[in-house]
Amino acid sequence: MKRLAVLLLAGLAMGADDPGLNRAEALWRAHDYEGAKNVFEALVKAHPENGAYKVRYGRLFLERFNKADATSLFKEALAVDPKNAQALLGLALVAEANFDGSAADLAHKAITLDPKLAEGRELLARLALEDNDYKETRAQAQLALSVDPKSLVAEAVEASADLVEHKPADEWLSRIAAEHPAEGRGYELIGYFLQLNRRYDDGIAWFRKAIAAQPDLWSAHSQLGLNLMRLGREPEARKELELSYNNGYRNDETVNTLRLMDSYKNFETFRTSTTILKLDKKEAPVLRLYMEPELQKAIATYQTKYEITLPRPVQLEVYPNHQDFAVRTMGMPGVGILGVTFQDVVAMDSPSGRPPGDFHWAATMWHELSHVYVLTLTNQRVPRWFTEGVAVHEETQASADWGDRLTPDIIDAIKEKKLLPIADLDRGFIHPKFPAQVIVSYWQAGRICDFISQQWGEPKLLDMIHAFAHTDSTVEVVQKQLGISPEQFDERFLAAVNLENKSLIAHFDQWKKDIREVNAAAAAGNWEEVVTQAPTVRDEFPSYVGDGSIYTSVAACWRKKEDETKETAALVEYSHAGGRNPDSLKRLGMLLAKQGRVKEAAAVLGRLIYIAPLDEDLHRALGEDLLVLKDAPGAAREYRALIAGKSPDVAAAHFGLARALRLEHKDNEARDELLETLEAAPNYKPAQKMLLEMTSKNSSD
Amino acid sequence: MGCGVRLLLFVFLFAGLAPAKTFYLIVTGLGGEPDYDLRFSGLAKEADKSLRGAGGDDTITTLISPASTKVAVRAALADVARSATSRDSLVVLLIGHGSFDGVDYKFNLPGPDLTATELAEDLNKIPAARQLVVDTSSASGAALKPLEHPGRIVVTATRDGAETNATVFARFWVEALHDNSADTDKNDLVTALEAFNFAQRKTARFYEEQKRIATEHPVLSDASKAGQFTVIRFGSEAASAADPAKKQLMATRDDLEAKIDALKQEKNTLAPELYKARLTALLVQLAQTQQEIDK
Repeated sequence: MKRLAVLLLAGLAMGADDPGLNRAEALWRAHDYEGAKNVFEALVKAHPENGAYKVRYGRLFLERFNKADATSLFKEALAVDPKNAQALLGLALVAEANFDGSAADLAHKAITLDPKLAEGRELLARLALEDNDYKETRAQAQLALSVDPKSLVAEAVEASADLVEHKPADEWLSRIAAEHPAEGRGYELIGYFLQLNRRYDDGIAWFRKAIAAQPDLWSAHSQLGLNLMRLGREPEARKELELSYNNGYRNDETVNTLRLMDSYKNFETFRTSTTILKLDKKEAPVLRLYMEPELQKAIATYQTKYEITLPRPVQLEVYPNHQDFAVRTMGMPGVGILGVTFQDVVAMDSPSGRPPGDFHWAATMWHELSHVYVLTLTNQRVPRWFTEGVAVHEETQASADWGDRLTPDIIDAIKEKKLLPIADLDRGFIHPKFPAQVIVSYWQAGRICDFISQQWGEPKLLDMIHAFAHTDSTVEVVQKQLGISPEQFDERFLAAVNLENKSLIAHFDQWKKDIREVNAAAAAGNWEEVVTQAPTVRDEFPSYVGDGSIYTSVAACWRKKEDETKETAALVEYSHAGGRNPDSLKRLGMLLAKQGRVKEAAAVLGRLIYIAPLDEDLHRALGEDLLVLKDAPGAAREYRALIAGKSPDVAAAHFGLARALRLEHKDNEARDELLETLEAAPNYKPAQKMLLEMTSKNSSD
Repeated sequence: MGCGVRLLLFVFLFAGLAPAKTFYLIVTGLGGEPDYDLRFSGLAKEADKSLRGAGGDDTITTLISPASTKVAVRAALADVARSATSRDSLVVLLIGHGSFDGVDYKFNLPGPDLTATELAEDLNKIPAARQLVVDTSSASGAALKPLEHPGRIVVTATRDGAETNATVFARFWVEALHDNSADTDKNDLVTALEAFNFAQRKTARFYEEQKRIATEHPVLSDASKAGQFTVIRFGSEAASAADPAKKQLMATRDDLEAKIDALKQEKNTLAPELYKARLTALLVQLAQTQQEIDK
């Protein structure tokens, strides 16, 4: 919405003595976008050397949600005239809309070419505020105002900065009201920045104010709808989104959110006093068995740790279609995120929405729930890096083997000294400058919190949360809570990171070469080479368990050689290193059980429940192991999952449950399950045996 | 195993006929690259092991590339044609790549390929009245029509000749030969229908999990016949079926099974407690009868 404000304001400025351009601009202002497009198209065709036409045409596309065509036109304009500041600005605006780290560089280049480009300054002010760099925000806003003293965007950015910093913004708000009394766009921009800082309720209030000032500001209706939707207030959200849509404001967020709402008929909602679980009907019976208790466990843990009881139940939405989940995160920074939190509403992928082994649902749930607590405790006054860092830290607190592994991208970043200073870490989440920077920043933030916990003690993190709640900045919090400057902290943190990864960094390039060679040997069936090279490759990067890991290659080798003992050993190493591939872990579970190591098998498969809870074979194998271990409630849960998942092997699922219930001395329920078993498969001999035993016991009783 | 098959076995035994035999022929095609060669031969060995592990006096022939030339495959089929009788069964399992040029389906072998027409000619010469051909190759759907024959069930990994990507169906068909969960009615037999359902479901799930568009859609030519065609036996069922001393008990068992089937049909018309009591009584009788059979 902030982009739209800028675009429309700029749209009024052009075309003084050009009838064709004037006509196009007039049609645009009258919201006749198709008419404006036709005129621009004719102008661009007739005057291919005219960069200004291309830029204006590009701006029309950008306003009408078509970033690809806008980009092409800006590039064409630059091909005609490499010094076209407006074209560079256009590209900067596209980059801004994509949360692309190149936006500021492009804007600076545009300003260099045209120092009086107020819109460029406005853009830089907005970008700085997205990074929570208040000093730069105000500096750029002032420069914009020096060129255009009534810049609505600059005034709104100033007001936003004050409000984000929890300071009074009366001066700027009075100016906006006086200079732009019928304009809603300034308030809309304020709403944008508040919701970007996770202050959704506050953002909603400003979107309402924008609409009150300018009722036909459809972009504000859309934003109001989106943010109401984020907080689970669906009826009003739908009303606003439909209003926006029906009045021609049909950006991706609006259209896709309305579609998502239509799909909610396929969801089922389960409520307890502390949780609201929203699951796709097809997966609900199985996922609920695991997710509801895990969510309650996480709430109980955090309630104790953070010493706070949430005022409302936590709503968890789980999307089997990743595109549906992606709709919930549209217009937000952080490409590739697995879950998202809006105050006390958490949305995340279902395990079925991701490739097998790619997604640890429980770690994601604990991560997101941590945000709910940290945001509640701080009243949303917390920098992004810190709440993400605490959330990543909490994953490994919940279970040591959860959390993200060190990936090659992260090692590259450490090696190439691309980790950001703590005071600037937010920038890595909002405006990444290299493709993996968001992932690297998550890891860095998590490690910073681990480091603080190790060096200053776990309670220090809670102290920091409370400090942020009082609006202290990162610089102040580090100084006051840790007793050192941010620069000193960076120095100590980087020294620790470099020390703990010293060997890895030293061997990383060699590992990349070696793992390629080993995988090539494995693909060619050259097993001797795989086995010979394995110890070296493993020691170069022991925690690498991604695709083509040395552990799975070695296991495959021993499997081919039909040596189950050595295959088991390789897979045990893989599992201990944090491997998550469901097929490999299921195979390990089977091998361990076959060797009588049932307790270990159950542990491996139990870990896999957090990764592949919809895997029928997993429930069957784990159920069997738990029965052997006399863990009747656990086994019963696994067989219930099989029944709930509509396993085609109905008889085996009911029989497993019957055995578990009998183990729990719930004979009546066991008998019912046994009848279900034999009704489906009357000749199932083990079930027949149990029936005769139970019948004879009843007779003797 | 369905009731019909049990009755059929009973009739054979009652008439004093020797038990029928099943001939299995497993063939792997040309992989084209080491990974596929390893995969195909691995699956063939796994299937061979499962079938041999099930016991019985069935005849199992496994031809693995590069030995699986067209000449070798046709010779193996000719051997079966000489040995089999009309009461026997034949199972052919093809694991590899296939192709379809719009006219002919070809199973890719080392040297000249085997066309569906050639395969059909050889199969038609085999007197075994009950035949099952499982063609797990790419484009295998194009073999459905040429292989059509009374008494023959055809399973293909793809619905037509246009699905030309390498398939995964074979992996799950072979899995059905040793995974007890494929035997959904728990009668210690896996029928062609049970194996097909198992492999089809796992194939579909494979593509769902991998987030890939399914490039194979398995086809079964005759579900009714497939439900009565035993692919593999687990446990002691084969031995019991061959013992004439148990024929009366097996007749009783068949009768009880029929009564249970009839009661299940009435389930919706009976009070739940009454249904449960009647079902329990019949199941107890059935279990006791089975216990006697197994002694």
